[in-house]
Amino acid sequence: MFLKIVPLWRKGLGELKNVIQINPPGPLLKKGGILFLSISFIIITGCSSPYKNLNKIEYSPDQIKNIPYALPFSEKTLIYKTNINFYKNDISGLLIIKKMDENIYRIALTTQFGLKIFDFGLDHGILNVKYCVEYLNKKLIINTFQNDFNLLLMQNKSESLYVINNSIKNQKIWQFASGKLSYNYIQNTDSEKIEIINLKKQNSEKISVGLQNYTDNIPKNITIEHRNIKLKMNLKLIQ
Amino acid sequence: MNRIYKMDCHPEFIEGWQIRFSKKNNNVLTKLNMKVIFFFSFLFLSGINNLYAQEDGFKQVQDINKAETELAKLSENTQSIQSKFVQEKHLSFLTENIISKGEFSFQSPNQLRWEYSEPFEYIIVFNDKNIYIKDENKISTFDTESNKMFAEINNMMIGSIQGDLFTDRERFDVKYYENANQYLLELDPKLPEMKSMLKTIKIYIDKSDISVAKIKMIESSDDYTSIDFTDKKLNQPIDNEKFNLK
Repeated sequence: MFLKIVPLWRKGLGELKNVIQINPPGPLLKKGGILFLSISFIIITGCSSPYKNLNKIEYSPDQIKNIPYALPFSEKTLIYKTNINFYKNDISGLLIIKKMDENIYRIALTTQFGLKIFDFGLDHGILNVKYCVEYLNKKLIINTFQNDFNLLLMQNKSESLYVINNSIKNQKIWQFASGKLSYNYIQNTDSEKIEIINLKKQNSEKISVGLQNYTDNIPKNITIEHRNIKLKMNLKLIQ
Repeated sequence: MNRIYKMDCHPEFIEGWQIRFSKKNNNVLTKLNMKVIFFFSFLFLSGINNLYAQEDGFKQVQDINKAETELAKLSENTQSIQSKFVQEKHLSFLTENIISKGEFSFQSPNQLRWEYSEPFEYIIVFNDKNIYIKDENKISTFDTESNKMFAEINNMMIGSIQGDLFTDRERFDVKYYENANQYLLELDPKLPEMKSMLKTIKIYIDKSDISVAKIKMIESSDDYTSIDFTDKKLNQPIDNEKFNLK
């Protein structure tokens, strides 16, 4: 055939040239070929970034404080009652988040009885382990926690900040971009709150965070979910 | 500590001592007394007195046999306990401790219920080999065979209350202290798994009724959890339903 179509899952991930290779069409297949090409093009365009046709404005990174989200900046000790489902493990306890300085945090999880499960320092996006129970102290798990807390506390390194207005969905998207990665803080323009945070690699979602019931721009309920590993965290503010 | 000893060696201070013992000058003596008072208050405030005795005036038990005979009553004195508790979690990086409260029930030999009511609701029941947890109206059931961490907590709690823990010389090094009102037992874990979690368990026992008043679990980082038992009711019947969650 003249058209070489890549599998469905590749669609929308790469440049157009990676998706379709066109050989000069023969006279008989010319019409049909063009029609097929047009349909493919429509499908492919439909699968690409949902923000593509939206108005995107570049902001200066110091506009970060204009995002209506105070969790990373709160001087108070925040305590969330937390459930973690990690494959077949259920871990429950209290998650304590304390801002020590600009971009420096302590994050600890204790059981209801008080014993520590982990105690992490987060310093400009780098997580260091002060204490961690043996069964969680694995490189892969620690990296996962680093990604999650960086997303929650807006500690990701990024080159640029964009604001995208999606008036159809009533969303204002604060997007931090870094290479193939984008960190999206999605504000509901009705409630004026950040209700969704996600981490995307190209256009596939890796981590998704739901935030509800805000007081003083701090969410009382947070759900963190991973798409490629079975990890889910439920947080409920108690202090 | 160095800083404190420097104060001790302050030239004026040493001079003061010499004057006190050689010249016996009254004026200087008054001055010196002030300094001595100041020095000891400083020691007291800085917590250095812990070097000489345990906190709250606890001293090492002289008559170990007597203490052991007394403490052997612990298990029969506490066939059942109902009490309120206040739990305090100290983390070095926080200025204030995290406080939670609730009710506690124990029925010998192996039924235990912790019910947290503030600032969150959470119930955990140990009943023989079963563990029930009620968390926001969701009840989960485990068994101690499959959940080693809970099994360890259960053993530790029941062991502390019933006194089995401080006769377990294979797992703990035990030191005995006392003051006028309480015995204090300091348990240092010997086994590596336990050691990685806890440095010391301190158990405070009221002398008046030989029952546990407080448990303090100190982690290797010196962060600790202390649990104070108040309004204790000993050896009164407890409804068996308390140890079943449905």
